[in-house]
Amino acid sequence: MAETQSPTIKLYIRVALLLGVLTAIEVGLFYLVEFTGMTQAMATPLLLGLAASKFLIVVGYFMHLKYEKPLLSRTFAIGAVLAGGLYAVVIADTIVSYLNNA
Amino acid sequence: MSAHAIGESTGVENRKLGMWFFLSSEFLFFGALITNYMLFKGRDLPAGVPTPFGIYDIPFTSFSSFVLLMSSLTMVLAHHALHEGDQRGTRTWLLTTAGLGLTFLAGQFFEFSEFYLKGAGLSVAPVWSSFFVLTGFHGAHVFIGVLMLLILFSTSVRNGELSEAHGLNVELVGLYWHFVDIIWIVIFTVVYLIP
Amino acid sequence: MATTAIPPQEDSAPSAPTTIFRRPSSTEGFWGWVTTTDHKKIGIMYGYTAFVFFIIGGIEALLIRVQLAVPDNSFLSAAEYNAAFTMHATIMVFLFVMPMAAAFFNYLLPLMIGARDVAFPRMNAVSYWIFLFGAIFVSSSFLFGTSGAPVGGNLPGGAEWASRLGSAPNGGWFGYAPNSLDQFSTGTAMDYWSIGLQVVGIASLISAVNFISTILNLRAKGMKLLRMPVFVWMTFVVAFLLLFSLPIIAVALFMVTFDRNFGTLFFDATGGGDPVLWQHLFWLFGHPEVYILILPSMGLVSEVLPTFSRKPLFGYAAVVFAGAAIAFLGFGVWAHHMFASGITPVAQAAFGLATMTIAVPTGIKIFNWLGTMWGGKIRFTTPMLFAIGFVSLFVIGGLSGVTHSVVPSDWQQTDTYYIVGHFHYVLFGGAVFGLFAGLYYYFPMLTGKMFSERLGKLHFWLMFIGMNLTFGPMHWLGLQGMPRRTWVWVEEQGLGFWNAVVTAGAFTIALSVLIFMINWMVSRRRGDDAGFDPWDARTLEWMLPLPVPVYNWAKIPEVRRLDEFWHRKYTEDEDGRAVRREDYDAVVAQLEEEGRNPTEEIELPDPSYFPFLVGLGIMILAYGVVYLDRGFGLPLVVIGLLTMVGSFVGWSVEPLEEHHGDHDGHGHDDGGGDVVETEVVETS
Repeated sequence: MAETQSPTIKLYIRVALLLGVLTAIEVGLFYLVEFTGMTQAMATPLLLGLAASKFLIVVGYFMHLKYEKPLLSRTFAIGAVLAGGLYAVVIADTIVSYLNNA
Repeated sequence: MSAHAIGESTGVENRKLGMWFFLSSEFLFFGALITNYMLFKGRDLPAGVPTPFGIYDIPFTSFSSFVLLMSSLTMVLAHHALHEGDQRGTRTWLLTTAGLGLTFLAGQFFEFSEFYLKGAGLSVAPVWSSFFVLTGFHGAHVFIGVLMLLILFSTSVRNGELSEAHGLNVELVGLYWHFVDIIWIVIFTVVYLIP
Repeated sequence: MATTAIPPQEDSAPSAPTTIFRRPSSTEGFWGWVTTTDHKKIGIMYGYTAFVFFIIGGIEALLIRVQLAVPDNSFLSAAEYNAAFTMHATIMVFLFVMPMAAAFFNYLLPLMIGARDVAFPRMNAVSYWIFLFGAIFVSSSFLFGTSGAPVGGNLPGGAEWASRLGSAPNGGWFGYAPNSLDQFSTGTAMDYWSIGLQVVGIASLISAVNFISTILNLRAKGMKLLRMPVFVWMTFVVAFLLLFSLPIIAVALFMVTFDRNFGTLFFDATGGGDPVLWQHLFWLFGHPEVYILILPSMGLVSEVLPTFSRKPLFGYAAVVFAGAAIAFLGFGVWAHHMFASGITPVAQAAFGLATMTIAVPTGIKIFNWLGTMWGGKIRFTTPMLFAIGFVSLFVIGGLSGVTHSVVPSDWQQTDTYYIVGHFHYVLFGGAVFGLFAGLYYYFPMLTGKMFSERLGKLHFWLMFIGMNLTFGPMHWLGLQGMPRRTWVWVEEQGLGFWNAVVTAGAFTIALSVLIFMINWMVSRRRGDDAGFDPWDARTLEWMLPLPVPVYNWAKIPEVRRLDEFWHRKYTEDEDGRAVRREDYDAVVAQLEEEGRNPTEEIELPDPSYFPFLVGLGIMILAYGVVYLDRGFGLPLVVIGLLTMVGSFVGWSVEPLEEHHGDHDGHGHDDGGGDVVETEVVETS
């Protein structure tokens, strides 16, 4: 059990509301692209940013990582960074090959 | 006086440390599945096969996503309740979390049957193979999480209370549950919202 | 040997049973082994099991070599040949080297860091049982597996595709698509492969989490990370490699299983899938895998060389960091297995360059091992011979590896015997020699006896000569154009002389292994008593009485520096030479005396049925999945799943304390060992 300072119920609820709002914005962006002049190229970075924020908020507050020892954050980060890096290379190479051969 | 077999040089309990390492490795697992989907996403489809964006029901999936997000909240409330010694609260929130998880799964089930009826399926195109395998594995993880929550719930009911020792287990199941949630956060955005 | 027994207290009534079956309590006999959670017993089981598979994999190698000894041979049919080389590799990699390394990790890790067991004893046991049952499952394909003939085409001589037994997996250990898919590999052989590997992979992943947690959390007081033996560091690094590479192969294996059985289209080009994707996913795992294979042996050698040079390891920190660097870089070079697969030129250049950089940390380690021996007082015992053999043979293998990193050069070498030569130098000359060094070095610790040095040296020289005769000529055979994975070669190719030499070398290796087995079995019973600290070693684990008591440390030692044991025995004179301390005899005697006579109650994890049951369940599940298209498949799946889920639930509910109620619960779920008072009894 966590010995360090824990967030209160109020904080948790606020976090949850924030997550709901961010999700709503994401969905909103999706529809903006569908129905207005917003291009996908504009929306995609925003969507990714929103997803990343939600990700970090859940990890930081709900998974308590903000209050834990740095060892745990680093542990978690290794997997995330490694996955991101390796798969980025695979995707890049496959897409380029595909385009070259298509 | 007895010598304990188990020590803790890092200050983090063994099982918590182990769980964080396990979750870190799960990134590689889901990363491979998501990569698959992304690789097959833009490719041409055979005639008669619907494109993902042709049949996604964004409002429905958004609602499902919201349900899962809220289940993370209830999970954290369960843990908090146990920390405060509120056994009834713990039981309530554990059950709620399991219930929300099952709701999410029911939604997935419904969604998949709709897609299947519209011509998507495991064997019609690689993008659909990827989609179903990715979301299928995510759903299986949610299901295992629900099972663990129910085990905790029944332990609490059987023993009348969850002890200090079980407190760590609640935290561990919580970590697992939140992880499954953040994977969905990624999936929802990358798979559903970005064509 | 003195026995200290503290009788179980009669005043505490057993708590109301919460399990259906009574908790096992025996640590002796058959059930003692089946239910054990003792890392030493688990390590021993891993070791013997792995060795059995070494023999099986070796027999397959001999079959291959007989088939290739002369041109146009028909000793094996083409179908049988495909199964032979596939299973030779699959067994050697997954069922021999990895589990044998696991045997060492399991046995030694707690001893080296001053702990009494690993962080998760029951999970440790379950790793072994899942491995064993997965290995049995894969091997049973020799009897039960089927393979259809390839689709279409007129094959010369129909008998080529016949198999005299069932068919084991036959798509290569790397299972390239589309050959692995059901259009080309009809029958169940490749299902045994994809599902079997999945199962043994799970075992390794569980171990990885266990060892990382153990190393981080269970070190004795004063055992800082940079005071740990190099072997422990290599265990740590390998655990990370496993942790992050196994999920990738797990996904790939799921995908190929689904393609074969459920009609998905991941790798099926006719349906829009991508076979090269398989290669990416496989090698993303596969390259870290080869570092998983070599780093444990590098760790063992780093323990053996200093002991028999009577010098500390040269550049300890550099060796440690080089190991970590090799692992880290190892994640970035996977596509060097794919230079000829149509990846982009940019990728080829990048991966070629990255591959060359791995030579740097590897070279650091080689120079440090040489530096360790330089100026030392060398004792050429059997383990030392194997360690030195490792260094020289691994360098040769590494050099041919560097030639592969040059992309155009690799285009010629790939798929020829040149590559086979390369990886056998690093895997056999490297990993296997390192494992033998470890087996001889730790024989006294395991058995309390010494082996026959004469037989040991005979083993070494026969194996060394045999190895070079077998794998050396493969380099020029490859450059002369002999392809891999091909069941015959023809007279006109002119490869006769060297192929005959290679085959003769293979049988020499086999003879040397036989000598090893004799040495081991006879010396276990009739060898000289090892006494205490037979090698005059440097590290913590040799402070224990031999054979090691069940509780490991009577009193957890306090560590003040690297090579703690050495510094308790020796100090330096004015010239920097090692000189026995005045109190040497007293120190040694006291260690042995204390080690055998614990003065405090020691808690040890309790035995448990559940790990065994989980292993059994997963095997049943695996058979069910292979035969899902038949009537009995689904019931097997259900039975397997129920066994596993039931075992997990039972495991998590398994009582914290069996006898005495005056301890805090330590929690259980799927992790913690039950820390319970038990009689402190010396078992040998």
